Amino acid sequence: MTKKLWRCHVCNDLHYGINPPEICPTCGAKRAFMLIDHDEAMRIIGNEGGEISTQDAVVGVWRRFGEQSPEFQMTDKMDEVELLSKGVLENRANKGLKYCPCRIPTGDFQKDLNLICPCNFLRQNAYKETGECWCGLFVKRPSEVP
Amino acid sequence: MAEVGQRMIWFHGKECPHCRQLRPVVEQFEAETGIVLDKLEVWHDQENQKLMQRYGDTISEACGGDLGVPAFYNERTSKAICGARINLDKLKAWAEVQ
Repeated sequence: MTKKLWRCHVCNDLHYGINPPEICPTCGAKRAFMLIDHDEAMRIIGNEGGEISTQDAVVGVWRRFGEQSPEFQMTDKMDEVELLSKGVLENRANKGLKYCPCRIPTGDFQKDLNLICPCNFLRQNAYKETGECWCGLFVKRPSEVP
Repeated sequence: MAEVGQRMIWFHGKECPHCRQLRPVVEQFEAETGIVLDKLEVWHDQENQKLMQRYGDTISEACGGDLGVPAFYNERTSKAICGARINLDKLKAWAEVQ
C-alpha cells in the first residue's frame, strides 16, 4: 500500500498516509480530507514548519516525545544525550536525515527510513531485554522496569 | 595488521557517540593485550560497510536483531559483540585473552 498526500479542505492541514484522518486534528472537521499531489503539498508548506537543526532543539523534541509516553522517557544521562544529538545532526548534515548514529544504513532509502531517530525502538530486542533503545536515548520509566 | 581471516575488527561509526566513548577502552585493551584491532569506519566507507554486512548475520544477532555499532568481530572465532555497554572485561572475553 502506498502512502499519499491529503489536504483538509477546511484548514489546509496536511496528512501523509494510506488513509486520511476521519477528524481533522487541527480544526475538527469530519471527513474533510481529499487527495492532493506532491507539488500542491509543497506549495502549501512553502517555508513554514521551522527547522530542528540545533542540539537544543533536537533534545527538546526528544524530551517532549518522552514526556508524552506513559512507558518510556528520555534518559537522564545528559552527557550521552549531548553526544547523540550531535551525532544525529552530523548525519542530517552528511546524509540528509537525522539517522541514528549507532545503526548502519543499508543504502536502500525506504529501509533506511527506519533508522531516523527516534526509530521504532519498542519493537527492538535491545529495548525488550534491557529497557533501553539501542542508543540508550530512550529508557523505560522506572515503574515499567520489571 | 593481521591477515584477512585472522583480524580482530572494531566496526565503528564516525558519528556514533558510544564509539567515541569506547575509544579509551579499546586503547586500554590494546595496551594490556598487545592486540591491535582493525578499526573500520562504516558510515562513510562503503568497503568497510560491505565487509560488516558480509558478517551481518553474526553481528546482527549480537546487536539484538539489526546491524549496529560499536561492534567487534573476531575473524578467527567468528564471535561478535556489540553495543554501548561493552567494557574491558567483555573485550578480553571476546578476544579470548586472560
